[in-house]
Amino acid sequence: MKIECTIDGKALSLSVNSNKPLSLILMEDVGNRTIISHCRGNACGNCIVLINDEAELSCIIPAFRLREANIKTFESYQKTRQYRDIERAYQSTGNTPCPNCYASKTLIIESILQELTNSTRLKALGRNSPQLRDEKQSEEKLDKKAIIQELSLNTCQCMDMSEMLQIVEIALTYRRRKRVRRN
Amino acid sequence: MYEGIRSPVIHTPKTLSEFATIAYRYPSAVIWAGGSYLMSQKEYYPSEIKDGIIDLGSLEELKKITRNDRFVEIGAMVTASQLLFAGKLVLPPVLQETLRTLASQIVRRQITVGGSLCVPDIRLALSTALAVLDAMAEVKYYQGGKVSTHWIPIAKLYDKDGKLLLGSQKALLTRIRIGLEYGDYQKFVCVEDPIRNTDECVIVAFQANRSQNALSKVQFCITFPNKAFHISKDLESKLSGLTLPIHPERVNTLSYELVAELTKMHSGISELQLERGRRIFESFLHDLNAQSLSS
Repeated sequence: MKIECTIDGKALSLSVNSNKPLSLILMEDVGNRTIISHCRGNACGNCIVLINDEAELSCIIPAFRLREANIKTFESYQKTRQYRDIERAYQSTGNTPCPNCYASKTLIIESILQELTNSTRLKALGRNSPQLRDEKQSEEKLDKKAIIQELSLNTCQCMDMSEMLQIVEIALTYRRRKRVRRN
Repeated sequence: MYEGIRSPVIHTPKTLSEFATIAYRYPSAVIWAGGSYLMSQKEYYPSEIKDGIIDLGSLEELKKITRNDRFVEIGAMVTASQLLFAGKLVLPPVLQETLRTLASQIVRRQITVGGSLCVPDIRLALSTALAVLDAMAEVKYYQGGKVSTHWIPIAKLYDKDGKLLLGSQKALLTRIRIGLEYGDYQKFVCVEDPIRNTDECVIVAFQANRSQNALSKVQFCITFPNKAFHISKDLESKLSGLTLPIHPERVNTLSYELVAELTKMHSGISELQLERGRRIFESFLHDLNAQSLSS
């Protein structure tokens, strides 16, 4: 099966088996080095990629669902400005995930940050509306339970959950500051 | 690397009638909803898929959520994430809680309602919650060139061990219907991850109506993902009609009755799972007591 898609900014035409998992395509056909696991859908959480800017487990995405998809792996994500927020959070806490799960944990954190900052509702409301202020206040209170649920998708035990939460909080502060400056 | 393995043909029907034609022509084709279960099978890749794959992803009819005064209808291809996002105002609390605890947001985007209900050998959180809510599933059977439609209660879709009972004919679950009259007390608890830790996982859903401290319409389902799907009509009727608060000794007796029933009807449930199930059940009754005493 021929699939046209974009991987890390390169438009590719891949000839692969239609049911081949994306994790295997990236490892075997594209030669991506940041995907290091193929757990066969058992949710080890080490194969996260961004498909059309949404984090997905690449081991449960078949080739036939990739038509026209824009796939971003850690290889290209680490060159973006968004990555700097997370990298700085790692540096300021002094905690960094192990090399095995670094890419995936970083992309999971990115997905959490996107969720927390890119609320379409916020955009729809006026900048000074009271509703927006309420939203902002509720945004301040992080739903730690939901964040822990997201973070636990990666099963690597190299970091404590409280350390991960701290990283998310700090990265979120950097991301919000960046948004304020841009506005 | 995988020489000799033919790439399966992907059929992408756009309407249910197109699906019927394809299902008739390729009777052993694999029906593909979200794919999270199929791709987690050890033998999934590389493997030979003879009649190809019918991808339901383009069937817009199965992606709708509709609501009227009496019920909500949810298409089989609605993802858990979409349902949680769209249904905050229309879904019963127990279903919202189920969807939230089902998996992380990343996996929820992949899980479809129909796919989750039609996993053949393992029962997950959604089946448990929907069984308690008395939800119905619309199942279309394709035999020869004929299509017949049946509305089946979710609780009747599975046998006591949790295996799917759709028969040997080609069948497609197209939508589910949930009534909007539900109890004012609803609880859902899932202990351990049903995928990663199947042998220790316990899923319990409970709902009841309280009027003047009397319990009525109690519905309760306990699931041990690969071992049992248990609805105790006996316990439900014993609980319905009880007056709150229930005496602690009675709570204790009822919870051990549940354990006895589970042990009698299902083999293979571990001691840990039984104890977990018992304590969760007990905690619901204690919670009901606490709420009745504080109001």
